[in-house]
Amino acid sequence: MVKYLIRRLLQIIPVLFIISFIVFCLVFVAGDPVALMLPEDASQEDIEQLRESLGLNEPFHIQYFNYMVGLVQLDFGDSFRYNSSALPIVLERLPATLELAAAAMIIAIVIAIPLGIWSATKKNSPVDFLATGGAVLWKAMPNFWLGIMFILLFSVTLGWFPVSGRGDISHLVLPALTLGTGIAAEMTRLIRSSMLEILNQDYIRTAKSKGIRNFFVVNKHAFRNALIPVVTITALQTSTVVGGTLVTETVFSWPGLGQLLIQAVNTRDMAIVQASVFIIAFAVILMNLLADILYKLLDPRIKY
Amino acid sequence: MKRKAFYGIFLFVISAILLVGCSGGTTTSEPTDNGQKDSEKEVDKTLSVAIGADMVSFDIHDHNNTSTEAIHVNMFNYLFKKDANGVVQPELVEEYTIIDELTVEMKLRAGVTFHNGDALTSEDVKFTLERVATDDKLKEYPNYKQIKEVQVVDELTFRVVTHAPEPSLFHRLSRLGSGILPKNYIEENGWDHFLANPVGTGPYQFKEWVRDDHVTLVPFENFYQGKVEEWDEVVFRVIPENSTRVSELLTGGVDIAVNIPPADWERVNSNEGTSIVQEISNRVVMLILRSTEGLPTADPRVRQALDYAIDDGTLANVVLQGGAVPTKTMVGPGNFGHNPELYDNYNYDVEKAKALLAEAGYADGFEITLQSPRGRYLQDAEVAEMIAGMLAAVNVTVKVEFLEWSNFVEMRNANENKEAYLIGLGNSMFDGAYSVDWYRYERHKGHTDYKNDKIEELLAASAVNMNPDERDQQIQEISAIAAEDVPFVTLYQEKINIGVNNNIDFVPTSDEMIYAPSIKRK
Repeated sequence: MVKYLIRRLLQIIPVLFIISFIVFCLVFVAGDPVALMLPEDASQEDIEQLRESLGLNEPFHIQYFNYMVGLVQLDFGDSFRYNSSALPIVLERLPATLELAAAAMIIAIVIAIPLGIWSATKKNSPVDFLATGGAVLWKAMPNFWLGIMFILLFSVTLGWFPVSGRGDISHLVLPALTLGTGIAAEMTRLIRSSMLEILNQDYIRTAKSKGIRNFFVVNKHAFRNALIPVVTITALQTSTVVGGTLVTETVFSWPGLGQLLIQAVNTRDMAIVQASVFIIAFAVILMNLLADILYKLLDPRIKY
Repeated sequence: MKRKAFYGIFLFVISAILLVGCSGGTTTSEPTDNGQKDSEKEVDKTLSVAIGADMVSFDIHDHNNTSTEAIHVNMFNYLFKKDANGVVQPELVEEYTIIDELTVEMKLRAGVTFHNGDALTSEDVKFTLERVATDDKLKEYPNYKQIKEVQVVDELTFRVVTHAPEPSLFHRLSRLGSGILPKNYIEENGWDHFLANPVGTGPYQFKEWVRDDHVTLVPFENFYQGKVEEWDEVVFRVIPENSTRVSELLTGGVDIAVNIPPADWERVNSNEGTSIVQEISNRVVMLILRSTEGLPTADPRVRQALDYAIDDGTLANVVLQGGAVPTKTMVGPGNFGHNPELYDNYNYDVEKAKALLAEAGYADGFEITLQSPRGRYLQDAEVAEMIAGMLAAVNVTVKVEFLEWSNFVEMRNANENKEAYLIGLGNSMFDGAYSVDWYRYERHKGHTDYKNDKIEELLAASAVNMNPDERDQQIQEISAIAAEDVPFVTLYQEKINIGVNNNIDFVPTSDEMIYAPSIKRK
């Protein structure tokens, strides 16, 4: 297990380097940030001057070499927009995003697990159709639209929650619901299908034939076995959560990594984009590693 | 029974989440009755302003962002400041003398102090202006590089020396980036400390900046004009999404919300307690035409025909729903060199347009490409498409090419512009010279290729003319020639659209600054 973990942790390094290279290339080909830094009426001379002073007139390989030298020291360079080191700016936003992501995941799990199990146990009943149909419908609703609708209903019309910003827990409810219910929709369907597969296994039939109450069969025997795919699904949702925060944070003015990344892309703030993607990639890889560890805890038969 | 128990648990969990969510609530964005400020808030005397983008930095020289400056003006004072009529008046400067065409001597007001208690001196002015005039990494460098040096005469007297005659000097010193910085404070503590704990001489001082969330300012007790009593706290909240900004205004979460899109004007105005206030901005939207030899638009008659074929009034009043004023000049009201005859005025005569095209040999029309950004300016895509429709009426087929803003900027910088592109040009100096310089041949050689000898002559003369009256006339004359020769089709001047709580007395200004001391409670 320890060897496995060390091997997995070491694998993170090349993965992060590959991701960094891809991001660097994408940002490089996306165009010149200097064009966006100066006003509409800046002269070509002003643009060239700023480009040179920022080192952006260097060829690709020199820029990439400089970037890699910085990267091994965890220095992503200075943000063009904020004119200070990128990594501290990114790390400063991380708690807000983690808070939102954690709340969204809790909501998703609280909704999806009971609903998925319920739907599976009542397969092809009106309840099942309602749950799966509702999940498809909810998943089809873009976060952006859903967030605005939540604001209109719960803030503007009912006045229950603040419209935007980050403060006490009341500020968290609407963005977390927007993000969490979308994830719940997807998880519900996956948990349902996972449960259905388990419920058709021989050992479940045996358990039922022994006269064990259905509640225990479903929640103890079946659900425990269905947990492994659920853990996989939950870990895989990390990337969905990150994608969701980009939109949700913008709609609710939530000062997290998502909003920062959107603005950095818009202004081609390369250092911020690179540092943000690096941190996000690291978080996703870490979540997947965590899922692998959880497998072992959930199913002692799994050996690494 | 089991089913009921499950329902119960499920509903309990959901209700618990909602109840926990409802239980908090002490921050500025707590909803109140629609559009009404609650009594608690009046006691708090907190002014809350929703802005669309976060402040870039407290480095006043390293941004060119109006919304950043809208915050800075509350903390930093300029040497000169434009009054309500756009006339440049001394602010930190008490008196000044023009020594020669390269040198102006100025004397600071006595008794002005920075927020840290340091007195404002000539050394601070020298430190500030020479920094921005010499460091080419700073984004405001292009606007201050005309300054050669600042000579300190005594504690309050100094001389600003320019490389060449600089008739726009006072306009430069009354705009974005010309706040005065505390030399000793920065030298003793370093730039990083200053950026985290900025200090100026303005009516408000820094309290807190949570990036992408809010900036909070509090009154400066020793402001040289006296402490501002109206607001105990001014909070600039960053709300990038338009609909969210509007919702915050409607729920009373903010008192002022900037940049309200036309689609939401009715919603804000029909809500009890909120309304839209408008003021003309300093941004003129126009079609930049290519006069390159071989293109139809090289012929002035064709350019004139395009101008006559486009109904600027419909664009301003219908497409922008009254959010703009038609114009024939790049130099708007409040700008030095404004020609009032060309403002709130436009050419529209389809028959004349057809006749001009026939005269130029294009009776059967021709095809052009119109490049336009989408989402950069108010209703820009709709305007571009409407123009295509208008030009079709005179047999000019327009292929509209929409570009994402960064690609649009690159297209311009690479001189890949086709016959026409749509752009909105602001003028933070409020000096017409800055606008009409766009007609200068050398500046846009290979880009527009427009050349008019008379305009060239007037531009050269006005650039070094230290006589303000003569220079004003020269700029007006350039605008008049351009209105006839149509190097660009000037369409309209955009308005600023701000949502305001009716309990607030706020009159927007063309420079789009949010100067808290001028905002009152009703």
